Amino acid sequence: MFLMHISIRASDTKRAPAVPAGRARRAGTLVWLARHDRVSAAAMGFLLALVFVSLVGPLVTRYAYDREDLDALFQRPTTAHWLGTDQFGRDLLTRVLYGARVSLSVGASAVIGESLLGITWGTVAGFYGGVVDHVLMRIVDLLIAFPTILLAILVTGIFGPSLVNIVIALVLTAWPAMARTIRSEVVSIREREYVEGARALGASVPWILLRHVVPNVVHLLIVRATLDASFLVLAEATLSFIGIGVQPPRPSWGQMIYESFQYLGSHPWLVVIPATALSLTVISFNLVGEALAALLDPRYRRGRT
Amino acid sequence: MARYIVYRVGMAIPLFLGAALLIFIAGHLAPGDPVQTVLGDRYTPAQGIALRHQLGLDRPLAVQFVRYLGDLARFDFGTSYVNPGLRVGDLIGRALPISLRLAALAVVVATLAGTLFGVGAATVRRSALDSLIQIGVVLGLSVPSLLAAAALVYLFALRWPMLPVAGWGLPQNYVLPVTVLSISPIAFIARIARSSVGEALLEDYVRTARSKGLRARQVLFRHVLRNAALPVVTTIGLAFGNAIVGAFVVEVLFNIPGIARIAINAILQRDYTVLQAAVLVYTALFLCVNLVVDVSYAYLNPRVRY
Repeated sequence: MFLMHISIRASDTKRAPAVPAGRARRAGTLVWLARHDRVSAAAMGFLLALVFVSLVGPLVTRYAYDREDLDALFQRPTTAHWLGTDQFGRDLLTRVLYGARVSLSVGASAVIGESLLGITWGTVAGFYGGVVDHVLMRIVDLLIAFPTILLAILVTGIFGPSLVNIVIALVLTAWPAMARTIRSEVVSIREREYVEGARALGASVPWILLRHVVPNVVHLLIVRATLDASFLVLAEATLSFIGIGVQPPRPSWGQMIYESFQYLGSHPWLVVIPATALSLTVISFNLVGEALAALLDPRYRRGRT
Repeated sequence: MARYIVYRVGMAIPLFLGAALLIFIAGHLAPGDPVQTVLGDRYTPAQGIALRHQLGLDRPLAVQFVRYLGDLARFDFGTSYVNPGLRVGDLIGRALPISLRLAALAVVVATLAGTLFGVGAATVRRSALDSLIQIGVVLGLSVPSLLAAAALVYLFALRWPMLPVAGWGLPQNYVLPVTVLSISPIAFIARIARSSVGEALLEDYVRTARSKGLRARQVLFRHVLRNAALPVVTTIGLAFGNAIVGAFVVEVLFNIPGIARIAINAILQRDYTVLQAAVLVYTALFLCVNLVVDVSYAYLNPRVRY
């Protein structure tokens, strides 16, 4: 999978159960899902565990992620190094855990950034309509005209691969689609009776937006943000893989895959372990996102691109 | 139809200009001074001003942008910052055919294999083969290309060395990169094809065709596939976009001298003109492919009339 927003659940074998509309209360949706859909429960469990080990793991491990031990290159798993060591004798487990920290924090920052920007942009465009909508959405069209992460490659390529720049670049690639989704929903909400009623009562525009419009698009935001988390974690790994993402010695999964690829023949685990961690994370976000979409997004259809 | 083409081209032009503007601005904001890059650390102020004037960098930004567009129209991407003797256009011109061939092969392979799997799965719906294809689809869509590439290289180049990892130019050099690039589009197209063929099989005209005694194969080729082909067309643009971004991974992995490889080298050497050109070329290609896909969709689908 190269960075396509694609539903991975097959249409006919969709396991997310159809839920009666009232059942999925917003706050409890994830809990409901965890109870009723085993696949989502497993995915959520994995993600929670990952967050936990990425927070706690580095505190527990006895090694620094960049501590090289030239007497212990390419070690097999031992009691000292549970996953063995890499080509510089660095503890692989420690690096995978720090990599999780980097992947999750970069991914989370980018998701938060693009969500805030996307919902603001989409709400304003959809609610005001007219010239404002036109101008704002043409900017969105322009950014979507770049093939997926090419813009991120341009930005980190020119301004340098600092963590902040990586996050900015990722936000830049992801937010236009978010804004488009939100805007299309806001356009229909704008015409609803409760909005009209609020207007008739003399409510100010910011009040209407915050009280009546935004709460009614939050479910779309949640669905989209979860799916985007999958995309963004993968995008960060791709940037790091091609050398313009997270810079050594700070480890990231994509960069570990790249650095160890030349040893694939002799020591495949050095590639397989970070690649598997990356895959499980990406797949988990995707599965949860798909299940949420089936629950919360009434317009959700298979074959979404 | 002609009106639609004009409308669609009219939409693509401002997008291209906007993309060019963004890329131009990014280059302008890039850290470092082109004058210093060319002249080195020691030059007199007069030399600096002269070169700045010669490069047109003392003109207003709008003028510089128009000049940039004019140069683009003549496929002149300027000269490399790092190797002033090197014309970026030549560099791109040499690399572009390689990347294009790779992307085109990936799209063709994905369309053919995806359609084959999808139609196969739809005609034997709910059989063991169908389930197998479904599992393949989910795997193909969910496994990141980095892992897929590692697995393929390990299995077919290292464990059982039947394909080369490095080197470029021979037909067998294409096999692994094209496979990596086409895995997820194959899965995606297979799913689309399966569901659209599955729907077409339930249509009244299929029942009519069957009841008048046509053989299953005739029904499939004459009635079902023609009607089910449309949704597959729309995925081609997606497969192409996928191949462009995938090129950044594949060209690094297999050391292919394509556009993505050039772009990455340019980033590492801070050669911004080259990077700008590479991004612009890829974006222009992406816009063109989407344009062609949209127009052919409108052409093939009589229900869409503009």
